[in-house]
Amino acid sequence: MSVATKLRDWWDSDLVHDFRRSPVAIVALAVTVMLFVLALGANVIAPYNVMDPASANVIDARLPPGSSGMAGETYLLGTDPQGRDMLSTVIFGLRTSLYVGGLSVLIAAAVGVILGLVAGYLGGWLDALIMRVADIQLSFPAILVALLIDGVSRTVMNRAAHDALATTVLILAIAASFWVQYARSVRSLVLVERDKDYVAAARIIGISPFAIIWRHIRPNVIGPVLVIAAINLALAILTEATLSFLGVGVPPTTPSLGSLVRVGNEFLFSGDWWISVIPGAVLVALSLAVNLLGDWLRDALNPRLSS
Amino acid sequence: MGSFALQRVLQTILVVLAAALVSFALFRYVGDPVNNMVGQAATLAQREAMRRALGLNDPVVLQFLRFLRDALAGDLGVSYRFGVPVGRLILERLPATLELSLCAMAIATALGIPLGVWTALHRRSAASHVLMILSLIGVALPTFLVGIVLILIFSVWLGWLPSFGRGATVAFGGWTTGLLTFGGLKALILPSLTLGLFQMTLILRLVRAEMLEVLRTDYIKFARARGLTGWAVNYRHALKNTLVPVITVIGLQFGNIFAFSIIVETVFQWPGLGLLVIQSIQFADVPLLAAYLVMVALAFALLNLAVDLAYAAIDPRIRAGMLARGRA
Repeated sequence: MSVATKLRDWWDSDLVHDFRRSPVAIVALAVTVMLFVLALGANVIAPYNVMDPASANVIDARLPPGSSGMAGETYLLGTDPQGRDMLSTVIFGLRTSLYVGGLSVLIAAAVGVILGLVAGYLGGWLDALIMRVADIQLSFPAILVALLIDGVSRTVMNRAAHDALATTVLILAIAASFWVQYARSVRSLVLVERDKDYVAAARIIGISPFAIIWRHIRPNVIGPVLVIAAINLALAILTEATLSFLGVGVPPTTPSLGSLVRVGNEFLFSGDWWISVIPGAVLVALSLAVNLLGDWLRDALNPRLSS
Repeated sequence: MGSFALQRVLQTILVVLAAALVSFALFRYVGDPVNNMVGQAATLAQREAMRRALGLNDPVVLQFLRFLRDALAGDLGVSYRFGVPVGRLILERLPATLELSLCAMAIATALGIPLGVWTALHRRSAASHVLMILSLIGVALPTFLVGIVLILIFSVWLGWLPSFGRGATVAFGGWTTGLLTFGGLKALILPSLTLGLFQMTLILRLVRAEMLEVLRTDYIKFARARGLTGWAVNYRHALKNTLVPVITVIGLQFGNIFAFSIIVETVFQWPGLGLLVIQSIQFADVPLLAAYLVMVALAFALLNLAVDLAYAAIDPRIRAGMLARGRA
């Protein structure tokens, strides 16, 4: 089958056909791209630079959406308890959330892929050890693992050291709770690949095991990893938001979608709903869009994974 | 079966021991236990006497064994924040968490199964499509946000339901329950709905998928051919056969419910274990966190052990598969 006919088959397959006809998937893509652009261009797009402490303005605190400030500023989405423009805080919060979520997925994928490659190709006690740890970790919910790792490292470090490192600790905690999936699926793919002729040929001409793993096997097992990463991104973003909401995530000075909701939660009973609902709505839009895209990607690229 | 069970039991013990080791390390090396107990004014001699009395000069292995012995006897140290034995604190808070979790699961099951069946039977109807889209959104909704929105609607705007706490509780010995008072029940509604929503969408989707699968099988066609009523075919034949995996998943989801109860308890200030552990993290209450770690590890390890052994007892194929994986 030529590439063109394959492409045509793919284009005509039920799933892609569904996708083309599904406004949901197309809107999901549009929303995801839009939110990524907002986050990446936060410095340029946000009306006010809320990372600058001088942007706080207590006189304009907690204004409802559409209000004008004392000095005639317009606050499209209102202001937060420190008098900062909600639209800007949400854009910067979005940036933090995507940064933490994206980086933790990258780290989890890198660690998981390496461990999966090593476990699958080398086998033996190393394989047994890695897979046992994976099994055990899988019996605990990921969010609990992230929470406990984060909580324990908080307790171990003193407060000053922790505030400086809070975001890093958070990223590592989320990454540590998600590596298992990558390791397991890469390992099972490696087990298939390692008995194939091209690997035997590489072995015979004396290429070192690590070069075989990295240069020969890795390119052949990386496809499903992308799918898992896409689906995990939504989960990682939600985990960051949840931990930050619980007050054990990013430091209080950093706006993230979760910490913004946490701040807004305190003002819910004064009727100031927008402080928590707006970042919450953005979080839902982001997680929903990424989720839908990930699901679609999984079905479209690799129907085997959908079972 | 014997070797499989033995292997699983050994693994369980290993997990709990590893958690105990982390917990011991936290206990022993985070902060100076002596400082925490005698205060700033103590002399060096007093400190040394305290160290000896606490056994802090003994070899670490001995200290760890002593820690294990005390933990087994239920002595998990004294909370820094409350000044109360940690074991007692945890037992006090446990009923609130268990009640919340069980109610959430009951709601999720009671709504999830009928809705799942209905969407499977009326696959093409508009309502069924709407339900499936809603359940998709439910998966993407963070639990804490669901709680906040429910509070905003039912407590702040409508003023129907309380937004925090357990309401009035009745004590039976060491167990407190909110199930017997009107206020307690009212306080339970929002938190258990919040906690149960995600599980409900999960059960709905699972029941629907299983139903669709079963409805395609020959014995369903045969039952129809025999002229049985739609009700008998759908409920007596089809639904019954979908329930085995559903019950399994419900059992396994208790772990998740437990984890997510931490979030729900924080949103609703529900005085359970989850709120306790979040506060202990924020206040660096090391003994409490350490005890919680061991307890969670023990609970999850036992739950998984029970599930694995039950599976293996039911299905010999799983036994073989798990052994092979274990030895690989």
